Amino acid sequence: MKSTKRYEVYRTAIAIGIALLLGYVLILITVFPKGDMAFFDKLKSAIKDANDAFRTFLISPILKHRRGHWVFNLRGFIQWINESVPIMITGLAVSLIFTAKHFNIGAEGQLFLGAAIATGAAIYFPSIPIITPIVVILIASLVGAGWSAIPGYLKSKWNASEVVTSLMLNYVALYMGLFIIKTFLRDPNAGQLVSLKFSDSATLFLLNTRYRWHSGILIALGMSFALWFVMKKTTWGYKVRLIGNNKHFAYHSGINTQKTFFQVHLLSGAIAGTAGIIELLGYYGRFVWLYSPGYGWDGIIIATLARNNPIYVPIAALFLSYIRVGAKTMGRYTNIPPEMVSILQATIILLVTAEAFLSQMRQKAIEKEARSTEEAIAGGDINE
Amino acid sequence: MNSVLSSILSWDFIASGIRVTTPILLAALGALIAELAGTPNIALEGTMLFSAFVGVIISGFTQSLWLSVLGALLTGIIMSSILAYFSLKLKTDIIMAAIALNIFASGGTIYALYLLTGDKGSSASLKSLVLPNVDIPILKDIPILGNILSGHHILTYVAIILVFLVQYMLYRTPLGLRIRSVGESPDAARSVGISVFKTQYIALIMSGMLASLGGIFLSMGYVSWFARDMTSGRGFIALAAQALGGTSAYGVALGSLLFGFSEALSFSLQFLNIPYEVTQSMPFIITVGALAFYAWNKAKNKKNRDI
Repeated sequence: MKSTKRYEVYRTAIAIGIALLLGYVLILITVFPKGDMAFFDKLKSAIKDANDAFRTFLISPILKHRRGHWVFNLRGFIQWINESVPIMITGLAVSLIFTAKHFNIGAEGQLFLGAAIATGAAIYFPSIPIITPIVVILIASLVGAGWSAIPGYLKSKWNASEVVTSLMLNYVALYMGLFIIKTFLRDPNAGQLVSLKFSDSATLFLLNTRYRWHSGILIALGMSFALWFVMKKTTWGYKVRLIGNNKHFAYHSGINTQKTFFQVHLLSGAIAGTAGIIELLGYYGRFVWLYSPGYGWDGIIIATLARNNPIYVPIAALFLSYIRVGAKTMGRYTNIPPEMVSILQATIILLVTAEAFLSQMRQKAIEKEARSTEEAIAGGDINE
Repeated sequence: MNSVLSSILSWDFIASGIRVTTPILLAALGALIAELAGTPNIALEGTMLFSAFVGVIISGFTQSLWLSVLGALLTGIIMSSILAYFSLKLKTDIIMAAIALNIFASGGTIYALYLLTGDKGSSASLKSLVLPNVDIPILKDIPILGNILSGHHILTYVAIILVFLVQYMLYRTPLGLRIRSVGESPDAARSVGISVFKTQYIALIMSGMLASLGGIFLSMGYVSWFARDMTSGRGFIALAAQALGGTSAYGVALGSLLFGFSEALSFSLQFLNIPYEVTQSMPFIITVGALAFYAWNKAKNKKNRDI
């Protein structure tokens, strides 16, 4: 497995490299000056501005410039970690469902409805330290599982396309969630549509109060490890991976594929359901969304980057939130729209998922591996 | 109650239903062709969005309707070509490639909008053109019929014609036969000498062009500007309408009408204090229900359990 694995790493690195290069070109185009200078002068000034902007983009989440020195940027760092939390969790949910080769893209709706209903608990559940946030998160998780069970049931029982049903349910969840907040939980004293504030003990423990670094990251990392353990060390996880590789083989070796598929949808929904409420409990302290925050779609990018392996999901999520925070900071100092990042994201997804991209390299990796196995078997007799 | 009933049964209501249906129908026809070719096109949303954008930009800078329609169609072709190239040649999963394109369109249009107009929200500062409504000469003078049949948007008529054209193409021409056979069983199609790549490529291109017509209806149909994420899920709704309507273009047209009219209904029912959220989510619930029913029916008829 070793050299093919290394090939996957190279391929991801090349995809990210190409995306960053594209990012640089986009920045260059944006800062290209108008007016009547000689083209060469324009280019020179554009390159200088682009270099500055690109540097902000690349390092601002950890370093900032102050009085001629580069110092640690605590605020940027905390923003980076905080923003990675919800997408890490949806990344886990999506990686699980993708491992079974199902395309339930309903994480968006699951997290939205989960957060909306759990908001009720976060406001009204009696204040007991530690217990309250756990109860609130569990409620969100149950809602997510229930919402994911609908496409899961339709797919595993009657083979209805889970792509379309889960997409449709995202809209239903959005409207239902907003309806719940608007009708039952709205804060009448707030200027815009937000829920009442959560009770004090419902909020998550803060690692840093000044910039609200919340402990959601610990929960997300814990979930990553737990899911990794389930997928790699338990029979159930083995079943899921087997089904993903070849469901017919799995079926004929006696695995109840319908049941396992349904369980995968349930667990994935249970994970995704917590993504929204954890961010609300940790950072905002109330329900603040007027439309879907898009974390479900981010989860797809992350699962793709992590090759559906739960242990790589945190790395992928940290990477994605890093370039986003970088782009936002860059957007504050320059006029480059942070939405530029989605162009980079799309490029990365396309290149990482393109099986045949760099397939020559893969071929070589496989040949090399085969040769080394052969050598190992023959005791090093074969040279070529 | 009476006033609501009369507002629902009015010409305005029918006209607004048809207006909402048009972009959904155009994209849903695209969804149908792609679905039958075995290459479901989830990128309709992004294709519509980018075409809506390109149409407005070209019409704003050139003041030419023909060029902007052409540009939008070309955008559809390019988006579909990227989708086809990655999924058919580089073996990307087509759903992943399409998700990438949707993300690209959502951010890319905002980025390009800013680059070209200096605004990140909408293209309102750009003076852009609108595609016209059409009165049909003799027909419009017939009392009731004229009201229903005449005076709609030109793209609405195009969409209606396309329903028949797509149905004819799919079920009466060699190309349609090839598309359906490739979708049914690529290996069987290959064995009789059909180029699977070429057929699916053509299907995706057609699908993209239909989506771009839906896109320019949004930005150049009744309004003359582009706003960020202005498709707001219509490409996905088109997928639902296709799933609801099945494999014939007529069925897909009916599915699109259901979505269009329930959205129009949700405007009317707001006066009855029925919350906007309830009526807005209705067509989605209906679609999930209908899909569940189809699947249940199919599973029942098949009798053998699918794994």
